[in-house]
Amino acid sequence: MTNTEWHLDTELAGRYTHGRVTSVLATSIEQHLLRCEVCRRLLQAAVQTDRLDRVWAEIIERVETPKRSLLERLLRHVGVDEATARLVAVTPSLKGSWLTGTTVVLVLALLAAQTNPQGVSVFLLMAPVLPVAGVALAFGPAADPAHEIVASTPHSAVHLLAVRTAVVVSSCLLPAAVASAFLPGDFWVAMAWLGPALALTVGTLALSTRVAPHVAAIAMTVLWMTVVVRGLVRNHDPLFAATLSVQLAAIAVLAISAAVLLIQRRDLGELLRRVS
Amino acid sequence: MTSHTTVRAEGIVKAYGRQRALDGFDLAATTGVTGLLGPNGAGKTTLLRILATVLAADEGSLRILEQDPLEPEGRRHIRRRLGYLPQDAGFHRGFTAFEAVDYVAVLKEHTKARARHDEVRRVLDLVGLSGVAGKKVRALSGGMRQRLGLAQALLGRPQLLVLDEPTVGLDPEQRMRFRDLVSEAGHGRTVILSTHQTEDVAAVCSQVVVVNRGRALFTGGVDELVKLAEGRVWVDSDRDPRALAGWRLGAHRYHHIGDPPAGAELVEPGVEDAYLLLVGPQAATSDGADQERDAA
Repeated sequence: MTNTEWHLDTELAGRYTHGRVTSVLATSIEQHLLRCEVCRRLLQAAVQTDRLDRVWAEIIERVETPKRSLLERLLRHVGVDEATARLVAVTPSLKGSWLTGTTVVLVLALLAAQTNPQGVSVFLLMAPVLPVAGVALAFGPAADPAHEIVASTPHSAVHLLAVRTAVVVSSCLLPAAVASAFLPGDFWVAMAWLGPALALTVGTLALSTRVAPHVAAIAMTVLWMTVVVRGLVRNHDPLFAATLSVQLAAIAVLAISAAVLLIQRRDLGELLRRVS
Repeated sequence: MTSHTTVRAEGIVKAYGRQRALDGFDLAATTGVTGLLGPNGAGKTTLLRILATVLAADEGSLRILEQDPLEPEGRRHIRRRLGYLPQDAGFHRGFTAFEAVDYVAVLKEHTKARARHDEVRRVLDLVGLSGVAGKKVRALSGGMRQRLGLAQALLGRPQLLVLDEPTVGLDPEQRMRFRDLVSEAGHGRTVILSTHQTEDVAAVCSQVVVVNRGRALFTGGVDELVKLAEGRVWVDSDRDPRALAGWRLGAHRYHHIGDPPAGAELVEPGVEDAYLLLVGPQAATSDGADQERDAA
């Protein structure tokens, strides 16, 4: 189809391919190109293919790459790099249902503390256990359906664990800290859950080098429940968890668990990769 | 690419409690496709998990890509050059197909987003899933999820591909496509796959290993395997009770393997005939450690 009245010259073709024509002229040229094979050939020679390839790659990237989830966008917003955000986004204990459950548990525990003098023990019982459950659900075969594939990849299992644990613990500790502000009594009592929470969480990680993460979490939870309930039943003290002896014991558990993780740091990755 | 032995396993033992899933297994695999053929519980999955570095052998010597998988550095080297499709390849159901493969790509150290996304699109295209890249994993059919598992295994053009039952859940057309894919992957690289499908072995494998009770009963080419059954396959108009195994081909036509009676109408054997002669027809119903593991 070459029966048109005018054709592009090399100068105009060059300006067009470099994007140096007005939008009206560009539209006119594009309409003409649809009908004129001679000009298409002329333009083909003037086009920079690498630039076209880059533009095309950008179009493909924007059109075909699915939009990131809300959680991933949130993590990116607080400075987490995009690859790490993707690894964290699959953590079951960061799903909306889990976060809603955490909030509901904390609110109920807070209500119990506000309405009954013994109710503070419910808050001190529940707050340290939440990050433990969250961490148990953050890694391992039971939490990750792709665990066996993940185990065969070169990515550091310790890094994956550390990142997920940090995010999960933050997601539990922050609402618990906010809830503490509304607890009756001293600030020290209100924050008495923090030490045990850290001790039980690190204890769960240390125990996970020997048994499955969910078993480790159950063991640590039972241990903590025993301590709180014993204080309530034998000493009639709803604040038993806030006593110096319990707090010191929590620090000891934290220190021992951290030492275990440190000693096993070389094998930690492989221990965490176990298929079952 | 050199023709070095990619995998050399000697006397591999792996036990779960008292049950030995692998009992002195030997394997040497170079470039090309090696097929592990064996009944349920023969030890195939355990062997492939060891080759994929997700399990450690209890005894024996093993070199993968010239590295020792027991050494941390060696393991990392192997994992950087490995693609693995486990028997039950799971994915987060809330992910899209694209995100599921992208997640594995991040773990395979593809850290640059644009290049990683291009690679994800390439492997999804290879397995024919480009059209459903934006669909949630939970909305994919079983066959599609199996292809998704294959896609993640192909990320980064691995030197060693370990595929456990890759054709499970694929329809005949998808299996044809899979065979093309695996044959292509076997050029200059090493593919080790396990299967129950003797047709897959005949179509794509340059080497076949017949596995039973944790040991390699046969290692060699497909032709060599088939030769084992020469003169031991016949057809008859009635079922022959003396045959080791027999099945109906059509009206008044029975296929038999074993020691043929005098004057029997011998026919060309196939891979299935040789396989059954080696493992025995009872192997098809045997239980073993792999099944125990899967149940656990």
